[in-house]
Amino acid sequence: MKELWLTPTALPSIPVEAEVICPDVVAGRTLKDVSSLEVYVGNKTHILGEFFEVEGELAEQASEQMIVVDGTCQTVKYIGAKMTAGSVHVKGCAGMHAGSQMSGGEMLVEGNTRDWAGAEMSGGLLRIQDDSRNMTGGAYRGSPEGMTGGCIVVEGDAGVELGSFMRRGMIVVKGDVAPFCGVHMNGGEIFIMGQAARRLGAEAKGNGGFIACLGGVDEILPTYVHETTYKPTFMKLYMRQLRDVLGLEEAARFLETPFRRYVGDLAVGGNCEILVAEK
Amino acid sequence: MVVHSDVVCPFCGCLCDDLEVTVEGDEIVGVKNACAISRSKFMNHGENRLQEPAIDGKKASLEKAIEEAAGILADAKRPLVYGLSSTDCGAIGRAVELAEVLGGVVDNTSSVCHGPTILALQQVGESKTTLGEVKNRADLVVFWGSNPTESHLRHLIRYSAMPKGMYVPEGRKGRYIVAVDVRTTRMERVADEFVKVDQGGDFELLLVLRAAVRGVKIKAESVSGVPRETIMELVRRMKGAKMGIIFFGLGLTQSDGRHMNIDAAVGLVTELNHHTKFLLTPMRGHYNVAGANSVTTWQTGYPYAVDFARGYPRYNPGEYTSVDLLAKEEADAAIVIASDPAATFPAEAVRHLAKIPVVTLDQKVTPTTMLSRVAIPVATAGVEAEGTAYRMDGVALRLSKVVEPEDGLLSDEAVLEAIIERVRALKGEVG
Ligand code: SF4
Repeated sequence: MKELWLTPTALPSIPVEAEVICPDVVAGRTLKDVSSLEVYVGNKTHILGEFFEVEGELAEQASEQMIVVDGTCQTVKYIGAKMTAGSVHVKGCAGMHAGSQMSGGEMLVEGNTRDWAGAEMSGGLLRIQDDSRNMTGGAYRGSPEGMTGGCIVVEGDAGVELGSFMRRGMIVVKGDVAPFCGVHMNGGEIFIMGQAARRLGAEAKGNGGFIACLGGVDEILPTYVHETTYKPTFMKLYMRQLRDVLGLEEAARFLETPFRRYVGDLAVGGNCEILVAEK
Repeated sequence: MVVHSDVVCPFCGCLCDDLEVTVEGDEIVGVKNACAISRSKFMNHGENRLQEPAIDGKKASLEKAIEEAAGILADAKRPLVYGLSSTDCGAIGRAVELAEVLGGVVDNTSSVCHGPTILALQQVGESKTTLGEVKNRADLVVFWGSNPTESHLRHLIRYSAMPKGMYVPEGRKGRYIVAVDVRTTRMERVADEFVKVDQGGDFELLLVLRAAVRGVKIKAESVSGVPRETIMELVRRMKGAKMGIIFFGLGLTQSDGRHMNIDAAVGLVTELNHHTKFLLTPMRGHYNVAGANSVTTWQTGYPYAVDFARGYPRYNPGEYTSVDLLAKEEADAAIVIASDPAATFPAEAVRHLAKIPVVTLDQKVTPTTMLSRVAIPVATAGVEAEGTAYRMDGVALRLSKVVEPEDGLLSDEAVLEAIIERVRALKGEVG
């Protein structure tokens, strides 16, 4: 993989919209070209080179391109948005919409992300090594479908409405999640290793989707019913995958754990499962 | 002495259209049919007025003030156009145009009141009705997180509780009224049934009601502090009503759960429509906030939180909403029309508002006019200027002019038009 290095210099207080920080956009260009790609600050158009030092090598294909953002960019929006291949590595925090609507490739954020990280993503891997804010992997307002594929790993805590309107794909949170996780969920899998706040799975239709709570829940909605407590075989397979493929060692602790199985949301005639690990 | 009849009241979302205003010379001397709030607003509309245009607190001519305002806005990279719920639709249209010319954000007070309602309605849809239909047909009226005895004084009398309707000939006796709230309000005495729900428990109660309407057996003894028997009895009533309606207020939109509460309420109403006719309507507070949403929608496709920075409208509440733009210190200039964010916004948003140059169009002296770089007094729509406003149910009504404004006082629309013209000229010179 060829590495393109972007080092933030002086970022303005008004956010920079830089959807050009994406392997698909930079691959096949020269460094000079990349440096003069357009970015937006409020109603003004600027070039990438005004805010980032641009160095490194460029590949012909997006799949061969890696972009390293060497610094914190909390006010830079849309990093890695809509990427289809290659990789993006942010060595600090990333602004809103990081990796939103991505369909392939890998994105790693060492710090935290703002709202709508991985929103409506359909493929690829987004890994956030700190906290992520609200609507992670969620649907944009008014849209009936959130995440439709791919995988998001949040190593810190996650904000409200994680995976809203989720259709397929997988989200793993190592820390705690705020209320309304998996709201309107219609497929896909969510794993929460920390504490899950109340109202998870609200109005979820299910469609084969489930939320696994490994670290306990504050409260289960009254429109979910407890059916049984059992040791699902598939959970063992998932836990192995989490440990071996995603490197989440903690998953190994749950290989033999029994789970309480709740089904709902009955308010919408749903069959979504909430599986709560027995302590 | 002139008596204006059928005057539309421009003071709350009910837009009562039966007022009688008596004028002697240039003074309002009497108001009939109005509620106490409306009467005092009409009678005192001359008090506490912003006297003259001012720049940095110093008196200036209108031309100078407009020039200064246009300069501030044209220079800004991230200008915010905010307010709009207490002015007429013409001014709202101009405000949207101004945002487009500036490449800024236009947002209205929905973002701090019924914004969650809009989010939910976009998510799950809405079954709409007019207040006229409610008056003529509704035999079950639910007020959820809303207390019209304090916020919409004539709502009960004109539309929802007392009036005799075509299919509810007995008036109040023909209707069953339910109030749901987290604390006891005066509605307890007005309603046939008062349901007290635990603070922050509305969402669960709405979900359980919906499940029960679907025929799910409720196992819990009580939900959010409401006993199962009460829930089942309410479900029976709802399913048995000829036509039911839920009016909901800020008690539902601004409490724990926010737009998801409305999402659940809409879900309940959808479910009930398998059994009978059921509807829901938000109790909009500011008289033309429904108009602000409608005008912004027909011009941009979106109801509030619309960003023109990239030259075309984009919508994302939470990102382009005023409170967020200010709290994140993003906006670098603002124009406020007919609103008082300095008194109503959270502290961190106000702190930033006080740091950036602000232009305010208002009739009265407010905390916002006091922190503004430029303050321009305007005529009051519906009292000193004509216009159109949308009632809470989306019915458009014509506001009338009952007295002449003071010399030199223009409407919001006229001032905005002048600012737009100057901004266009400045932008033309620049680029
Ligand atoms: S209820 Fe509202 S619209 Fe009607 S008179 Fe009172 S303030 Fe005006």
